[in-house]
Amino acid sequence: MIELENVSKSYNNGRVKAVDDLTLTVRPGEIFGFLGPNGAGKTTTIKLIVGLLRPDAGTIRIDGIDIRKDPIAAKSVTTYVPDTPAVYERLTGLEYLNFIGDVYGVPKAERLRRIEHWLEIFDLSAAVANPIQSFSHGMKQKIVLIAALLPAPRVMVLDEPMVGLDARSAHHMKEMMRTHCAGGGTLFFSTHIMEVAEKLCDRIGIIDRGRLIAHGTLEELRAIDREGQSLEKIFLELTAE
Amino acid sequence: MKKFFRLVRVGLRVNFGLSLLRPKALLENKRDFWLIVLILVGIAGLSPVLLYYLKGIRFLYGLLAPLGQQAALLTLAILAGQFLILVFGFYYVLSAFYFSRDLDLLVPLPVTPAQVLLSKFSVVVVNEYLTASLLVVPVLAAYGFHSRAGLRYWAGAALVYLFLPVIPLAVVSLLVVGMMRFVNVGRKKDALMIAGSLVLMAAALGLQFWLRSLPASGPGRQALVAFFSEGGIIRKIGASFPPSIWATRALVPEAGTTGLGSFLLYAGVSVGLFAALFLAARALFYRGLLGLGEVSARKRRLSREALSARVSSGRRPVRAIFLRELRIMNRTPIFLLNGVLSVVLIPVIFILFARGGGGGSSGDAFQIILLLASSNPAAVILGSALFMTICGCLNGTASSAFSREGAHFWMSKVIPVSPADQVKAKFLHSFAVAGLGILVAAGAAVAVIGAKPGCVLLAMPLALAAAAALTSVGMIIDLSRPLLKWTNPQKAIKQNFNVLIAFLADAGLLIILTLAVTALYGEGLGGAGIIGGLAVFLAGLSFLSFSFLLRIAGRRYAEIEA
Repeated sequence: MIELENVSKSYNNGRVKAVDDLTLTVRPGEIFGFLGPNGAGKTTTIKLIVGLLRPDAGTIRIDGIDIRKDPIAAKSVTTYVPDTPAVYERLTGLEYLNFIGDVYGVPKAERLRRIEHWLEIFDLSAAVANPIQSFSHGMKQKIVLIAALLPAPRVMVLDEPMVGLDARSAHHMKEMMRTHCAGGGTLFFSTHIMEVAEKLCDRIGIIDRGRLIAHGTLEELRAIDREGQSLEKIFLELTAE
Repeated sequence: MKKFFRLVRVGLRVNFGLSLLRPKALLENKRDFWLIVLILVGIAGLSPVLLYYLKGIRFLYGLLAPLGQQAALLTLAILAGQFLILVFGFYYVLSAFYFSRDLDLLVPLPVTPAQVLLSKFSVVVVNEYLTASLLVVPVLAAYGFHSRAGLRYWAGAALVYLFLPVIPLAVVSLLVVGMMRFVNVGRKKDALMIAGSLVLMAAALGLQFWLRSLPASGPGRQALVAFFSEGGIIRKIGASFPPSIWATRALVPEAGTTGLGSFLLYAGVSVGLFAALFLAARALFYRGLLGLGEVSARKRRLSREALSARVSSGRRPVRAIFLRELRIMNRTPIFLLNGVLSVVLIPVIFILFARGGGGGSSGDAFQIILLLASSNPAAVILGSALFMTICGCLNGTASSAFSREGAHFWMSKVIPVSPADQVKAKFLHSFAVAGLGILVAAGAAVAVIGAKPGCVLLAMPLALAAAAALTSVGMIIDLSRPLLKWTNPQKAIKQNFNVLIAFLADAGLLIILTLAVTALYGEGLGGAGIIGGLAVFLAGLSFLSFSFLLRIAGRRYAEIEA
């Protein structure tokens, strides 16, 4: 579960409000899609959740753990995939996965089983012994994704996870997201792809200029607009200047 | 031309915008006021050296002026400045030309390879003005004041300084551009690059070796006069590397000349080498650069057994982070050259410089080496400890421990490992590099200088304790204001202001300790007492600095936003 309570974050000595008094709960077993125009505050919110940024105000809890009071406990149940796959290029894919396994404490048998499984699914078995430097952008995205899946976390936070993935990998990714939540996990992700949000998400939040302007199931969002239009139309109307 | 100047302007903004011209960034938090104290300790420790340098210039001027040879001081300073740039410019040039991340943005732009390379060259030239300033500017200024020089001298000095880095940097650049064209083939680019770098460094050392092997007289006033006089060693070196002579003649013309011819020669050779670099850039630069970042990989599926053998087990965060540090440091050529290879090479360079080429112990500038060969065991122990500490810690491994993570720091923020554990792993890595330097220095002291092995062995705990303290100090400085936004790995280690601050603090501390030990010895305290006291002090200092490092780790990891 992810809980945000009155969370705010600003830049330039408070002149730019990136996230403004955000309150939101993502329940276990739920896929939550986070939409918003460029610069709306999606990535800032995600970075606040995973502890990359410190909120100016408010409380964030992961599975009931306050991330400020016990950040290590919160991090040990969370994994994160950033919007750009900036990973240790001088390590091999396997060294990177071992690093993640070592810091999360994944037992050897489980580690081997999961690595084999996800490498097969994302078609990286033949490349994993090579330096990440030799990987294409999509392959780097996949290795970061596998690293995020390796600890089998209860909470996954993904920033634009589909970018750079080929159609097959994107399909596997969506399957993985459903499986993760079917097992009681929580998944929070941002996207610009409306179809993905429409088809995949249990609930959707729309953020604009740092404020959560709407959230709920697709049906609930459609109810905001009496004509019952597509998510894209709803999004465009809600985020219009 | 317009495009070239725009590239230079952008390059300068990127180069200086992040650190040097951001005084506010020195302290991100008022609680880090102690950092200012540390810098002040460094400056206090180094100020005697600077004062000594200025006094030395005044003394030499006074010695040479009656003989009419005072202009040789200028030759020496210009020669030393250009030599410094020749040796250390190599790293700058290599990383600026070939390892800047902005090259991915520049190459697709409608600009020529020559414009890209020469704009980067210009930025390095500006950097070198700063590098050479401490060595050369005091001499130029002191000469002007002592000789009551007129406007012509000061204008000439400014012009001479403006051209100062061009010749050595252009020479280094031509070598690097040629080397990289050769290196950028096949799969072993990194290894070839490191080998090429070592060959160039060996060539620079060979040059130093040759310069030192030129005949010199024994110490004393007369020797100094002979050193600087007409037909003396400075003139001989100048004859082998004439730009310093041309620059001197431009500032202090020989009788019957205006100095303009010498200046035109000095400036003309600079411009000529710049033109040669332009041609080399057109012909070779992109052929050496393009594809450099590509890494060919064998598509080889690991068998289940091989995969199982390579998959680790358990929760071992400190070990995992230590291995990450080790691998990234040793597999990134710029980091490797400045880390492990530095600690291996520094003892060799130190001893070569000190011993000179004559075979005897002629390096009177390095009194430590004299101490190592002393018959007094306490002097050997203290001298060895100082030598080993300098060799182990005179590198940027600890003071760039956090900066080196750069854009990857987000991973250190999200993994479930406490900042204290992360810092412990980084400390172990930096300390291991220092330990390697200490071992190499110990070996060199015994094998080359003939220091007594027993004394060197006794000195080792002192050196290790000092290295632990200096490693913690370096890491504290870097953790206080890590430089995480860099486009060029060189920025993280060689051009990182934290490395300079740590160097100042380390040097200051070692100088203060050396002065204290000398004073205690002068007061009649025995060798055993001094060594024992120093051991207790260093053990206490290393404990305190490491504890402080762990204490600030939690706060700083939370504050640093990635």
